[in-house]
Amino acid sequence: MLKMLQTLRKNGVIGINERNVNYVNPNNPRKLLRLVDDKLETKRLAQAAMIPSPELYGVVRDARDMKGLPDLLAREDGFVIKPAQGSQGKGIIVIESPLRGGWRMASGRRITMETVRFQINNILSGMYSLGGQPDVAMIEYRVKFDDIFGKISFKGVPDIRVIVLRGLPVFAMLRLPTAESDGKANLHRGGVGVGIDIATGLTSRAMQHDQLIELHPDTAHALDNVQTPYWDDILLMAARSYDVTGLGYIGVDVVLDRDLGPLLLELNGRPGISIQIANRRGMRSILQQADELSRTKHAAAKRVELAKELAGGAPASAASDRAAPQEQNAAAAP
Amino acid sequence: MNSIRHAFFLGLILVAAGSAIVLVKISSLGYPVAPGVMTSIWEFEIYLDFEGRDEPARIETYLPAGDVSRTFPQEQYYNGPFGLSLATEAQSRNRKAIWTYRYPSNRKVLRYTALTAGETLSTPLPSSFRQAEPAEIEFEEDPIRRQAFIVWSGDLRRRSADDRSYIDLGIAEVFKPRDQDELYADELAVLLGGKSTMDRLQLAVYMLRSKGVPARIANGVYLSDSRRRVDLRHWLEYHMDGEDFRYFPDGEPARFFTIWYGAQDLVSASGVDDLDIQIALRQRSNSAVDLVRQRGGDALGGLERVFSFSNLPLTTRLVYEVLITIPVGITILVFLRQFVGVKTLGTFMPVLIGIAFRETALLNGLLLFSTLIALGLALRFYLERLQLLLVPRLAVVVIFIVMLMAGITIALTNSNQAVGLSISLFPIVILTMTIERMSIVWEESSASEAIRQGVGSLGVAAITYLAMTNDYVEYWMYQFPELLLVLMGLCILMGRYTGLRLTELWRFRELAKS
Repeated sequence: MLKMLQTLRKNGVIGINERNVNYVNPNNPRKLLRLVDDKLETKRLAQAAMIPSPELYGVVRDARDMKGLPDLLAREDGFVIKPAQGSQGKGIIVIESPLRGGWRMASGRRITMETVRFQINNILSGMYSLGGQPDVAMIEYRVKFDDIFGKISFKGVPDIRVIVLRGLPVFAMLRLPTAESDGKANLHRGGVGVGIDIATGLTSRAMQHDQLIELHPDTAHALDNVQTPYWDDILLMAARSYDVTGLGYIGVDVVLDRDLGPLLLELNGRPGISIQIANRRGMRSILQQADELSRTKHAAAKRVELAKELAGGAPASAASDRAAPQEQNAAAAP
Repeated sequence: MNSIRHAFFLGLILVAAGSAIVLVKISSLGYPVAPGVMTSIWEFEIYLDFEGRDEPARIETYLPAGDVSRTFPQEQYYNGPFGLSLATEAQSRNRKAIWTYRYPSNRKVLRYTALTAGETLSTPLPSSFRQAEPAEIEFEEDPIRRQAFIVWSGDLRRRSADDRSYIDLGIAEVFKPRDQDELYADELAVLLGGKSTMDRLQLAVYMLRSKGVPARIANGVYLSDSRRRVDLRHWLEYHMDGEDFRYFPDGEPARFFTIWYGAQDLVSASGVDDLDIQIALRQRSNSAVDLVRQRGGDALGGLERVFSFSNLPLTTRLVYEVLITIPVGITILVFLRQFVGVKTLGTFMPVLIGIAFRETALLNGLLLFSTLIALGLALRFYLERLQLLLVPRLAVVVIFIVMLMAGITIALTNSNQAVGLSISLFPIVILTMTIERMSIVWEESSASEAIRQGVGSLGVAAITYLAMTNDYVEYWMYQFPELLLVLMGLCILMGRYTGLRLTELWRFRELAKS
């Protein structure tokens, strides 16, 4: 056990304690966290800063708004209902299309108006919000996900999580839904996490339930060496999220829409640490270097450049695993 | 980075300060470091509170009897604005405190405290009682009862050989548990009236006195348990053929403490409402500590006043004795979360559950808790179908839990299990919130995760319970409350721990393969 601890320390793996004490607490002032804990607020900020995000169809705040629900929900191409202050994907319903008076959910099951109302009522009463305070329900555009990840995901929308330390995108991971995770891209529910090289946007290693895997558990496709489209745009969006919110340590969740390109889905003020497993490297050294770099102010585009350089000069411990995809990428890059 | 140093030094200073005070108390003032075994001193308190009616009020209370030979130092009265006079009743030699006030309004409190070692069965009855001519007490005018007594005593006489066996037989029959429909000796049924212990004692006294034996009813408490509300006990004392006898209808105690004699109530009050009488007992954890207190005098006085609970009312002190161990549980919880990484439902919920275990003891508590949670979860999943709103749904679960607890209490009481009564204080709201949280984890994550967190919570609760009820922990926290500073310092230090948690070693096992 002591040996494990030594190895983990050598590899620069950080735990929840260190994340909180060294990164979340000093970089994310409590009053700013409100901006990301409330997705409605996040969306407003993103829109104001011209960062694309899924279109907001409407907000249900109280019983009066419920009356307009049938009109609001009369959409052929589906929609998503989510609690504005929910966390970890709790309380989100993804509706694909109308079905026999009700709707078809992403999971394939049918849902009735009555259940939708009940679910929205649960959201309003604060069942999914932090601390249980009353919440509002957002109804927004359902992302039509890009086929690039179609082969390696199973039901539901894959998303890309980028960890941004004071404007520098330092770590990234592709999160894929599985049958087990019920179409949700949450790792703790059994979703698959695939590391993405910040420098190139190529996927590397993959993990599920904290263990490395080679193939997608449902579709059995190889998960490595997939080029993430719009990679530079995604990094730029992530970098700019810092300017918009002022939060110094965030997880930026981006989805790729078939027609609209990358969309900012939400921001997370306390991003998880499993991303280290997906990337097969500890975060400490990169975070410390990024901390140094961020002392001087740079424009978002410049920060993306810096972050890419930082990722390129990877420490020895992770180099062997990353050498192959990097070379391929160098050849493929225009 | 400055905040790290700040937290580090603050934590260290608190730990050092707390430890230093403890060391001074042990080395210079001679506080014992272990809970002692010589625990013969009891603190006794009569605590009265009531609502004044803005009219002349008079509250009379019997005080511990003065004619018993026993260790009985340090009596104190807390009168508030009331006038206090003491009186001794001529015949029974009962001592009485009479508190009076002209116009009391709102809530008032009166208190009497004393230290005592109590009495044992071998404590002799006073000679004034032994030699007393049995007062000729008049039996009721009621001819039926008179007749019944004559018939019964005649019957006893026939079935006994001498006075001694007559009395033994009589007492045995008076206190024999009787069923409602038992027909034998209807005379006794007539004589016993309401069949309460007091009725039986009065009949026994009458029977003894009719034989010329000095007898009386004694009232007091059993010295067996530190408690905030102690039951009053009544027993019989008589002296025959040069021997002292005591008969305890509630079972013989090892130690007891006599307060007054006779069939009257402990307290009689006029001009007040809503009178609440509490009798509290607390076993002095170590009489050596008392010696230290007496020896320390003024030098110790200042320290004592700041850092000790010994000047608080006994009822309050017994609460603090429990309260002050809670930070120990909390600190353990912090350790288990920050260093081990145990997942629990809610932040401090496990400690609250641990406190609840005090009422039930560990094994029963775990069983009850698991049962209630399991049943509550079943109801919660059923309610999911009804699609109720959040708050009404929680309310339904609360009511269900109360029903379950009532059912369990009745079932256990009927089968003569003492645990039945103790769960009544089991925290209902904590149970409900645990069920709600668990069901959300169940739905949103997985059943295994919910069960893992539930088991984690119960495990942590059990650990904190064992720590909080440990004799040494109780003794140390109560005698050395400055340890709170140490605990606070430790929590501050743990608040800046940035290393990996034990569970994270497992989580990152893939990265630990170098």
